[in-house]
Amino acid sequence: MTPVHATFGEVAAERRIASVPLSHVSVELGHLYMEDFEAGPARLREQFRRVAPWLATIRSVWRERVPGGRARVSTCFLVDDYFSRFSTPAELVPMILEAAAEHDLTIDYLARESACAQFEDGRSGAVELARLVEDRLVDDPPPDTDGSRPPVKETGWLCNGSRSPLTTPLQAMGKARPWEPPTQNAKRGHSIFVDVELWDERGARRTWSCPFLAAVWQLLRLGLLRAEGRVPLPPVPLEGAWPGDWDRLPAVVRINPQAAPFSAYTTLSVLSPRFLPVELAVRTILSQVAVDDEVLRQVAARSESERVRLEEELVDRVSYVFT
Amino acid sequence: MLVIGEVHTGLLQNSGEISEPACRQVLGLMSGETVRVSRRPIVHALSPERLTGVDCALPAASGSRIRGVGTVVSRCAVTGGRVAQGSSYVRVARSETDRRLSWSHYLARPGVVEVLGKAKAADIAEGFAGDGAPRGHGCLDLTAITGRFLDLVQTSPLLNRRAPFRMPRTILRWVAETGEPSIGFTLHTEQERSLRLTHPGPFTPAVVDLCEDLAMHDWLLTSLLVVVERARVGATPAAEVAARLSPAVDHLLHLWMPAARVEERLTPFWESLERRPGFSRQWRSLVDRVRDQVAVHTLALLSANAETGGR
Repeated sequence: MTPVHATFGEVAAERRIASVPLSHVSVELGHLYMEDFEAGPARLREQFRRVAPWLATIRSVWRERVPGGRARVSTCFLVDDYFSRFSTPAELVPMILEAAAEHDLTIDYLARESACAQFEDGRSGAVELARLVEDRLVDDPPPDTDGSRPPVKETGWLCNGSRSPLTTPLQAMGKARPWEPPTQNAKRGHSIFVDVELWDERGARRTWSCPFLAAVWQLLRLGLLRAEGRVPLPPVPLEGAWPGDWDRLPAVVRINPQAAPFSAYTTLSVLSPRFLPVELAVRTILSQVAVDDEVLRQVAARSESERVRLEEELVDRVSYVFT
Repeated sequence: MLVIGEVHTGLLQNSGEISEPACRQVLGLMSGETVRVSRRPIVHALSPERLTGVDCALPAASGSRIRGVGTVVSRCAVTGGRVAQGSSYVRVARSETDRRLSWSHYLARPGVVEVLGKAKAADIAEGFAGDGAPRGHGCLDLTAITGRFLDLVQTSPLLNRRAPFRMPRTILRWVAETGEPSIGFTLHTEQERSLRLTHPGPFTPAVVDLCEDLAMHDWLLTSLLVVVERARVGATPAAEVAARLSPAVDHLLHLWMPAARVEERLTPFWESLERRPGFSRQWRSLVDRVRDQVAVHTLALLSANAETGGR
């Protein structure tokens, strides 16, 4: 008898990582905070007026870049319902869509910022994306980090180098050390040291910082997050009318049924320059997030199969127009 | 160039073996990631992998300073609800530049440490796993990294920290390279071992599974030897010998499953170690000895009972 080749498998022993449909680029048309809302619809119209030409540009850039010119571009809009709750979806969303339409813009997806922290509904169960990303932070090690001690952490903060040593004397009689500068690990000549607050806690309640949630938002748009191997917060169409309460709104709503996929190889955000410091913080965080190896491979294989060359480092897949 | 790693193995700090759901909780080191569990032929639970960033000197037998930057992969495992392991490794690769790049470059290749400047694989291999290799200050410390991960498991609040017997952790340092198949296993001190492996084809995580499997069986063998030694067979009354051997019967004997989780193409490495030095041969002989002692004691008890019963 010839040898029999036996195979045996156990589902619980395998790692199954779902894949996510991907557009070429996800364009964020805007990000609405309470202060923008309070400024009235004129502020929103102004935002869309500034964005419109850039969306047209990015469409044509990708049409040239993609073989066959079939560029998949999706647009999204983020509403802050985390730091402050204002208005209701029933009141706000139609106004946003109308203001966008005035400039021939279609908002394909609408997302809630609080979902980047945590979200729970019957469909997705409970997902704490912010915790998930926090667990995937791998601190940028200063030179001579050999692993002998745990990474130096200031709880709730993340930086891109070594902080200044403590200069104030610990005891009243102690001698103060002269100030020493912090240093950036990957400095070119001189340092640009960045230290980002990720969250703060009052009692048991943790509030994630705006840059941290924005980093989660970028990772979600890049399709690089998985929870228990599944794609978290897949966009869902709205059933019925816009609800009167934010909590009854899905995390990501697909508004346009013909839209290209929500997640994309790259992202573009069109923002006011006042967000520049936030985005520097976002990039500091993103450059220290370890994305699952298997997910990175999936995305790389997919882009290669359609002959789209993708930047290897994920921060390089995130771009901006500050206008 | 090469892959270097370390496996720490110890008795789980709990009075009895833990259930599969408890394994999942103890090993849940990362939110949103599942603990992988296989049940055949023995329950084996594996934590998600985590990364640690390093920028430091790599071990070098020649003493030359080799700078490496990148990430170390670490994970923990619990086998049979009883044996805990911490395991870390890095793939050492040449960097395309001589300077350190932005951190996102290194995070795009998890588990790789890039060497800035010149280095020879043999120098690193010998420096890491060679006998009496000088391990200077500021040199990549896989022992500390792996130890911390194993501590995370061992100090879990789900464990009662009342292990049935004390047994030191063993440390296996391993080096894997591509080439003509060969394997070399060396015992250094009581707790330290090294493994040199040359495998055909590129490195895959299956090599890590093999090293972890070998480390676990080496630990089982070491522990059983210690238990038998502590029993002082022949120098102590039979009842006491049997009592001292009973933890081995309760907690160790059923765990021997060589190459259970080793990919088929790597099983010849296990088989060659079975020929020389013959792990299973020694294990069987020890198990026989334990069982014989217990049997002798049982017989003694039975005949004592018969005697008292006959009166």
